[in-house]
This record gives sequence, C-alpha cells and structure tokens, in this order.
Amino acid sequence: MEKEELKNKIYAFCEAAKGKKKLKEKDIIKGVSEAESVPGDEVKKALREMIDVGKLMYSYGGGASSVEIPSEEYLREKGLIK
Amino acid sequence: MAGKKYNTPLIDDLEKGPWPSFVTEMKKAAKNNEMANDALGHLEKCYSTKRGYWKHGGIVGVLGYGGGVIGRYSEIGDEFPGVAHFHTVRINQPSGFFYNSKALREICDIWDKYGSGLTNVHGSTGDLVLLGTKTEALEPIFAEYSSRGWDLGGSGSALRTPSCCVGPGRCEWSNYDTLDLTYALTQEFQDELHRPTFSYKFKIKSSGCACDCVAALARADLSIIGTWKGDIKIDQAEVKNYAKKMDINAEVVNMCPTQCMSYDGKELKINNAECNRCMHCITRMTKALRPSGERGATLCMGSKAPIVVGSLLSWVIVPFIKLEPPYTELKELIRKIWDWWDENGKPRERIGEVIEIKGMRSFLEAIGVPPQPQQIKEPRKDPFMFYTDADIEGFKAKEAEEKKTGKYKF
Repeated sequence: MEKEELKNKIYAFCEAAKGKKKLKEKDIIKGVSEAESVPGDEVKKALREMIDVGKLMYSYGGGASSVEIPSEEYLREKGLIK
Repeated sequence: MAGKKYNTPLIDDLEKGPWPSFVTEMKKAAKNNEMANDALGHLEKCYSTKRGYWKHGGIVGVLGYGGGVIGRYSEIGDEFPGVAHFHTVRINQPSGFFYNSKALREICDIWDKYGSGLTNVHGSTGDLVLLGTKTEALEPIFAEYSSRGWDLGGSGSALRTPSCCVGPGRCEWSNYDTLDLTYALTQEFQDELHRPTFSYKFKIKSSGCACDCVAALARADLSIIGTWKGDIKIDQAEVKNYAKKMDINAEVVNMCPTQCMSYDGKELKINNAECNRCMHCITRMTKALRPSGERGATLCMGSKAPIVVGSLLSWVIVPFIKLEPPYTELKELIRKIWDWWDENGKPRERIGEVIEIKGMRSFLEAIGVPPQPQQIKEPRKDPFMFYTDADIEGFKAKEAEEKKTGKYKF
C-alpha cells in the first residue's frame, strides 16, 4: 500500500474512534495493521510521520497518553493553519 | 514589574523556621515575574478556600513529542491571569545531576525569558522541572533548549527520564558506571521516552550499590542496584580503630539483616555465603570493609506508589548481571519486558501490578529468565517454585519408571 493511502487509513481509523475511545499508539498500529494487512512497522512509521507534521497529535488525560486528531486550536497554536 | 500585590498571611507562615522556604523563593521570583506573582496569590487563595483550582492534562506539548510538558490550567484564570496557563516543562537532566554553573545559568535565563522563573530542581522524576509557562511559549522554549543541546524529559504513558545516583563520579562504592548506563539507556530508548506507547509510565533508576541513593527500589519499575560477587574484605587493624570510637556489636553486627557477622572484641568475622550485600556494615566502617570480586547489578522489577493497587517494592528478577557497554543484554531484556507488559497490561496498570495479576511465573517465562532462589518476594519467605505441566508430566514419568525398577522411595 502506498504511504499516503496508509496515512489516510490511519486517519480514518482515528476519526472513527473520536469521542468513543482514547487510542494508544499501539491500538492504532495493531488495528490498522490487522485491518489493512500491512506490517506494524510500516503503520508505526506512517503514524509517526503524521504526528511529526501535526496531522495527528499526542494527548494526555486520566493518567494515560493517547493519539488524537488535533483540534483547530492546536493547529493554530503550532502555526499549521491560520 | 509590580511588587507584592497579594496579601498572603497563610503562605507567609511557611517562611517561618530555620529551613529554606519555597514561599520566600517564590516571592523573590515574583519581584520580576507576573506569573510567579500570580502564583503566590493563587496559592494563598487555594489555602484560604481549601481548594485546588488546577486542571491537569490535555493537548499541550511540542510538535512530534508526546511528553515533556504537563498541561496545567487554573479554573480561576480570570482572577489570576498570570497562571491561567501554568504548564510544567521537564528537561532531561544529565546523568548523576552534574552541571557547571554555565549550564545552570543557561537553563534559568531561558526560563526567565519564557516562564515563571520558578523551578523544581530536581523533581522526583529526576528531571529539571520548570514550573509555569503559557501554551504559546512551548515551541520557542523547546527551540531554545534543544538548540543548546538540552532535550525534554518523559511524561505520560512513556519511559520516564532514566535517572541514577552520582555513581563513580563521586562514590567509590559504585559497582558499575551508573552515569554511563543511564546515558546509554536514555539514548537507546529515545523513542520510548518521547513517544508514549505504553499502558502507563515506566521508570528506570540506577543505583551503584544497595545504599540506593536514588531510591530505585521503592520508585522505579526497573530498579538497577549495584552489587558484587566476592567476599567483603576486612582490614582488622582498621576494625580495631573503629572499636575505639563505636560499639561494633551494637551498630554493625547486630544490625546485620542476615546476622552473618560476629565480633568478639578482637576480630570481626563475616560469613560471606550468608551476606546479602546490603552495604550497612560497609557504610558504618568504610575504612575497614570493602567489597571484592566481580561487580555488576541486581535487577529488580515493579515498584510503584499506590494508584490501581497499593504501593509495591521492586522484586528481584535477575540476581546478578554484568553491566558493561554496550549493555546489549540489559537492553534486550528491557525490550522483552515491555513486550510482555504491552501484551498483558491494561491502561494505567504499572508493570508491577501486571506481574501481581498474571504471576511472576508467566512474566519470567516470557522474558526468558529462569526461576532462581534469589527471586524471593520478601525476606525469609520460601522461594516460589515453578512447575509447568511438562515438568509434572516428567516427574510422573520418572516416578513410574523408578517404581518399575524398584528405585522409588517415599
């Protein structure tokens, strides 16, 4: 699978969980890897690239860290949107 | 910058007494910094109303990192605008907390520029903890620190910044190079430190001997405690000198946890086979006693403060391991430990709790460490024995064979 397509799948996976479940990084790697039959390492690499450019972000709440789709406020603060 | 604008009778009380006061230090910072000034007023309000107004967590951080910044907001930010955002920044400390004054000045100058100027050096994690900054200052702070070679520490469900005692840098009793090991582990596990992937936090702390100056045994998920294999060497002439100024039987022999020592007023004897290397006698008689033989460390697992279940102390998993660069054996073991934890832990379960739930047997099997008598949970309790189904089948087969051949005895 092309990396961009994989990134879209990862994004869709996170979007589907939004407001329902806090996803750990490993939940995403495992979930997308199984659903798309892609090696976990590839998913991990793509996921981290998305985090590095602010497409996804780490969040923290209730004592545990998770990966989420960033809010507009966050993107604005990081200068990624105006 | 305005002077004192808050009346603070309750926290002023904390300036009394002969000890250093954080209130005094906050007041000094408040002279030049509005955030520190508002922090004083906020704290007084917390004390007077007996309420904390802090909210914790959220989405603050620097791009690409999942840790190192702990989001804090005040519910009463309108009243105290300087602390409406009051995020904590953790900076990865150097191994053993060694700095020169230039480095400390550099850290504080940047912090004065972007934050409250208040610090906690060091936090209980070991990091340099910088208290109070605004969300919009986080990226500039990170850019300034990282351009000078500093990095953020760990927070959240990640590897926390590894920390260690001063080790061979200042202590002759260190059984391995705690400073080098901590640096090596920090470099090796950068991903695990900055990108939270675990069920919960994981702490590695390294002490060069059983004196355990970083309290690894009580605080770290993986406590690395220096030890040795040889006998304790005794200088009897020095023992005589100590006898002139201390009661050796009362202060040393009778305090030995395994009672492996004796002193008849002339000669100190140690039954080294019974010694558990606790360091008590050596620290009391530093000139007379000295470890010898092979040096290394004991790996203990699972200590934590109470959250899901009560507090736990670390538990021996590897009685002795040589710790020399590049520490391949230890690094591989740590990865196996994380894999098992990842498979078995639920969110917010520390590894010690998962071991309690799943059993030490399944843990040791998964990480490939054989059961050993030293893996007792508490002193003077029987070592637990593992018998797998295959073991029991083997015993039964052997028993049946011995019955047939007449060798079997009850």
